[in-house]
Amino acid sequence: MANEVEDTMKRIQSHKGVVGTIVVNSEGIPIKSTLDNTTTVQYAGLISSLSDKARSVVRDLDPSNDLTFLRIRSKKHEIMVAPDKEFILIVVQNPTD
Amino acid sequence: MIEMGLDPDAIDDDDDTKTEILPEEEETVEDEEEEVEEEENAGEEDDEAPPPPPPEEPEEDEPEVIMPAISPSKAAVKIGGRPKKLVNSFNFSERAALTYNNPMRSQEVQTTPPPLATFSANVLQWVIYDAYQADYEAQQLEKELEKERKEKEKASTSRARPVRKAGKVQLSEAVQGRVLECWRVLERMINLNSYTEIAKDYRYWDDPSDEFRVEEGTLLPLWKFMYDKTKTHTVTDLDWNPYYYDLFTVCFGFFDFVKPINNGAVCLFTIKNPSFPDYICITDSAVMCADIHPKYCYMVVIGQYDGAVLVFNVQQSCKDPIFKSNNVTNKHRGIVWEIKWGPDLPDGELNFFSVSADGKVNNWVLMQNELMRLTIINLYLDQEAVAGPDGTKFRLKSCASCIKFHPDNPQIYLVGTEEGLIYKCSTQYSSLYLLTYKAHDLPISRMDFNRYNRDIFISASYDWRVKIWDDQRLEPLFSFDLGDRVGDVKWAPYSSTVFAAVTTEGKVYVFDLNINKYKPICVQAVVSKRRNKLTRLAFNPKLPIIIVGDDKGCVTTLKLSPNLRIPCKAPKKQQHLDQWTLQCMKLDKLLSLVREPVTLSLPSDTAGLEED
Repeated sequence: MANEVEDTMKRIQSHKGVVGTIVVNSEGIPIKSTLDNTTTVQYAGLISSLSDKARSVVRDLDPSNDLTFLRIRSKKHEIMVAPDKEFILIVVQNPTD
Repeated sequence: MIEMGLDPDAIDDDDDTKTEILPEEEETVEDEEEEVEEEENAGEEDDEAPPPPPPEEPEEDEPEVIMPAISPSKAAVKIGGRPKKLVNSFNFSERAALTYNNPMRSQEVQTTPPPLATFSANVLQWVIYDAYQADYEAQQLEKELEKERKEKEKASTSRARPVRKAGKVQLSEAVQGRVLECWRVLERMINLNSYTEIAKDYRYWDDPSDEFRVEEGTLLPLWKFMYDKTKTHTVTDLDWNPYYYDLFTVCFGFFDFVKPINNGAVCLFTIKNPSFPDYICITDSAVMCADIHPKYCYMVVIGQYDGAVLVFNVQQSCKDPIFKSNNVTNKHRGIVWEIKWGPDLPDGELNFFSVSADGKVNNWVLMQNELMRLTIINLYLDQEAVAGPDGTKFRLKSCASCIKFHPDNPQIYLVGTEEGLIYKCSTQYSSLYLLTYKAHDLPISRMDFNRYNRDIFISASYDWRVKIWDDQRLEPLFSFDLGDRVGDVKWAPYSSTVFAAVTTEGKVYVFDLNINKYKPICVQAVVSKRRNKLTRLAFNPKLPIIIVGDDKGCVTTLKLSPNLRIPCKAPKKQQHLDQWTLQCMKLDKLLSLVREPVTLSLPSDTAGLEED
């Protein structure tokens, strides 16, 4: 299982236009990253608080509902976030590449 | 000091004020006492003392007057002689004394302040909901434990099982699974971004020039599917999943038998993820064919170059097959060319049929833990037995190359052979053919039944021809020469008269018999003629796309332009008819043009007989 996870992550990194991938643990600390240090820390901190907020929005509207994915489209990038209780996966892609 | 709110100066001030105030209080007390005394004196005078003499008397006898004034009681005793009445038995005297006050003293101790921490939390609806949910779960668990304990007490002999030991490992396993799932979805999102233009083409682009071209259409190439490890393989079989209409199976093997390839693979691709297959089953021999169970769409059966058949449950594991035929005794003695799931047995066991170059059609039943093989027919050629090398005579067999089951009657099936014959057989008879068509001159590659009229089927062969057959009719209805070896032919699911074929030249041919009975309405070279050869083709059952496979392990998706999928228009008088009936009518009308009219035999003349 762990092998497959590794493979998938590597494959995603090799995809067209992918700028970087970050894995954040439940405490908000980045475990794995393909970006440089400062950017990683920045992404991890900001995205984890944003996803918490987003989850709160979804769950407040309906407590039995939950947030599964989050996509942020910006002028330059698209940030795709998979928030979970135990981890957060972040992929930054440049879709116009 | 300041935080405590005490100021030594302020305290001193307070003391001063107190000392100032105290003397006043004493004075007032004294005043009160004096007043009380005065009142008492006055009271005595009122009650017992005789009224004071009139003011004239003092003028006469002043000293006498003074005496009674000083002690009126004595005077009274003297006067009356009666026992002296005590006026006040308790001689009150009140005295006040001012004692020293203990000096006020304030003592202060300063401790280190307790650590400050800001705590903020929002209590939201879902937080409460979660708390309740957790509580409910805990309660359920408690109940279960209680139950278990009771059971244990009942059967006290049984020992405690080591159940919850692997709890943590399981948890991390579950998290890993979730991580993988999330990565997969993210990969699809990335693909969605990178293939957005193709997706839009697929969804919205219909060749506008179709309106101006009559009886012609085009194919629009969309996604290409490849897998790095099978780039040298040939696509030997293609099929859409019967349940998930975006998922298809691709078999990787080889057709060029001069250059054998050692391994093979079956990949399940989805058009949602063109970059990587969703499931990959790698095998140790080239895969020549595969089939997905129509009901259990995760059961994949594959036939191999070495004659073995394997059954995979891709949901469970793509690495190990759940069933594998024995490599020595229980297998085909030739390439397995086509494999097909059969209808489930009455006991619910799954079973499939396979045809192989060894001239046998086998039925395999998935028993509890083994594959049971049953040869349902040996395809002997209709020839005299020939002498073998050691003098014994044996009958020649034909090499089966494809099989097709009748869609309505699962007992009837067609077998195409490398000799160019088509045998119509029944699973009920293992020694005779219902019919033999002398169809082609070279190996038949694939056959297909028409979706609308089950009597009509089509066959493709390496002799460059595609032929359309009618059941019980030994001559073909139509025959088309495509100019190169035809790898595959399929009827379209949406129309009764449309079929498509691929040739090794790299061209896709689409025919619509209703529009043109002699020429294809679309011929398009999909891959480069020199480098690639097309091998297989499959229509999507729902979407207007076809997939074609080539010999470089690449599968191309093509969109059919509007002219290639014109729906039937209902005639004005029969607007109520649905598309299915219209399609059947269309095909029947077409067939009536080709079939010989039913020869009418004259009824025997009975005119003279009646009279007798």
